[in-house]
Amino acid sequence: MRHTIKYGLLLVVVLFVWLFLRHDAFLYQNPVGQVTQVQASVTQKTTDEHGNADVMITQRLTVKLLNREKRIIVIHNDYAKSQVMTQKYRVGDQLLLEKVAANTHILSLKRDAWVGALMTFFLALLLMYSKWRATSWLLLSMLINIALFGVALLVDIHNKDTNVLLIFSILSILFAAVSLILVLGRTLQMALTLAATLITTFLTIILLIIVLDVTHNVGVHFETMSYVTQVPATLFMAQTVIGVLGAVMDEASDIVAMQFGMRRENSIREFGDYWHAGVSVGREIMGTLMNVLFMIFIAETLPMVFLMLRNGNNWAYIMDQVMNLGILQTVISAIGIVLAVPVTSVIVGLALTRKAGRQ
Amino acid sequence: MNTIGVLIIILFVLMLLVGHMQGLKVFIGLLLNFAAIFVLIVLINWQFNVYIITGIMSLIILAVAIYLGAENSEVTNNAFKTSVIVVAILMIIAVIMQYFGQFQGFTTENSEELEGLSLTVGIHFGDVAIAVMLLSVLGAVAEAAMAIVADLNEVLERTPEMTSSSLYGHAKIIGGQILGTAINTLFFGVLGSNLPLIIWFVRLKYPIAMFINAKLLATEVVTMLLGMLGILLSIWVASWLVVRDNVRQQKVGIRHERDI
Repeated sequence: MRHTIKYGLLLVVVLFVWLFLRHDAFLYQNPVGQVTQVQASVTQKTTDEHGNADVMITQRLTVKLLNREKRIIVIHNDYAKSQVMTQKYRVGDQLLLEKVAANTHILSLKRDAWVGALMTFFLALLLMYSKWRATSWLLLSMLINIALFGVALLVDIHNKDTNVLLIFSILSILFAAVSLILVLGRTLQMALTLAATLITTFLTIILLIIVLDVTHNVGVHFETMSYVTQVPATLFMAQTVIGVLGAVMDEASDIVAMQFGMRRENSIREFGDYWHAGVSVGREIMGTLMNVLFMIFIAETLPMVFLMLRNGNNWAYIMDQVMNLGILQTVISAIGIVLAVPVTSVIVGLALTRKAGRQ
Repeated sequence: MNTIGVLIIILFVLMLLVGHMQGLKVFIGLLLNFAAIFVLIVLINWQFNVYIITGIMSLIILAVAIYLGAENSEVTNNAFKTSVIVVAILMIIAVIMQYFGQFQGFTTENSEELEGLSLTVGIHFGDVAIAVMLLSVLGAVAEAAMAIVADLNEVLERTPEMTSSSLYGHAKIIGGQILGTAINTLFFGVLGSNLPLIIWFVRLKYPIAMFINAKLLATEVVTMLLGMLGILLSIWVASWLVVRDNVRQQKVGIRHERDI
């Protein structure tokens, strides 16, 4: 019974958020409209130079404006059936519009209701799983991290020749410190985990810089990076620092937690005990952690891979041009994850044996 | 010499030094998963049904990530079952989100890269978007499932007589810790991989309306949420599976005692 009420409440909250975001047009400065009628008028079959068959369709959309005086307008929309860049709209879709001179054109589909509903669903489930106290620390650390990220972005944007790597390295030190302090409190365990995380990340980046320097970037195509607004190589390293940080922190916390558990059982131990236990735990978890980042980095390249394949490019070219940076980032992150195992084991082993020796 | 080649050799040597046989297995696992993604791309490119291909390949990738990652078969079996259930649920959510959110394809921001490419290529990019969302979360799901099952198994080994309600209690405490670190891993991973895009949006002064609704960022937010949901569900499902197994084993144990 209590469960039914809880799940019922969850659905009500999600539905409420969704309803609100479907009716939030008054918050927008741009015109917002809802498609009320669609007529697919012209259909034309195309075959491109690589023999790909596709269909071009023109839609006549009747759009009801939700936050403007003149209520109904008509917009024409062309799309290809594959929807690589163009998009098909359906009745009920809400659109973000822009008026240029006499013409109104579509800026984007309005997605906030769906993204917001999913986010609410996740947060509500999170609250249901663990009590408010435990969850609030996690949410608080994420909120602080997002705020810190915002500050770093502002610093990066307001100065013309900023060092991206430096800014985002400092940011990741703060990220790690905030997350660990909120989870573990200000304890020796937290300090050692933080030290292990930062040293490993630092070593990984140094290694990357050395290898890039020695091999003169052969086979690395920083120029293929998307959305570049700054020097691509340093931007890539900043990306790597942040990406590798989470995985290394995850691994280091597991290893350190286990070694502290050993100490609680028996505080007089040799360095070798800590070392062996640390390495054997690290060995168990490094594989799955590598897969986490691997899947994120590789999956992201897929749409471009398909487009290039359909455009008659061969695999060697695609691996070299499209998947290049994804592969590089996977490899360098994996190196970080492996390095975390010995680094953490040594740091904790040294700290704990020395402390025991002093007592 | 090729930079990536050198780094791969360094990685291989490090994995052998740190992980010995286990390290070698993990390295082979990564290569196998790369091959699985390659096969997935080829099959989708040949216009096989994306849902079926993605489903099958997800199973293979999860199996490789889990069974080549750890030794203990009790742990790996439960972790695999958990991941399969969770990925099936996520697939349904991904399909719903894609249907209404339309996260497929490229935008005008990509124009430079798309120059000279034909954009009428005949593959449905909406299906590709689902494959991308699902693949991105596989790693996170497998990791969370492994972590919780391994920890609960250790608890059970130390105190095999534990009642199911106190095992649930342990699952909640351990689950909370894993949730925190796993979500951080995913959060930083996604943030890192999208850093250039976010800087781009801020630098070019996109209005807030576009920040929230534009395809590129919304896609990443949805992918991240799916992953976090996957982690949470993994912990939930895994706790339930381990407790169920434990209850069943205790029953079998009691029966055996009666027989004697």
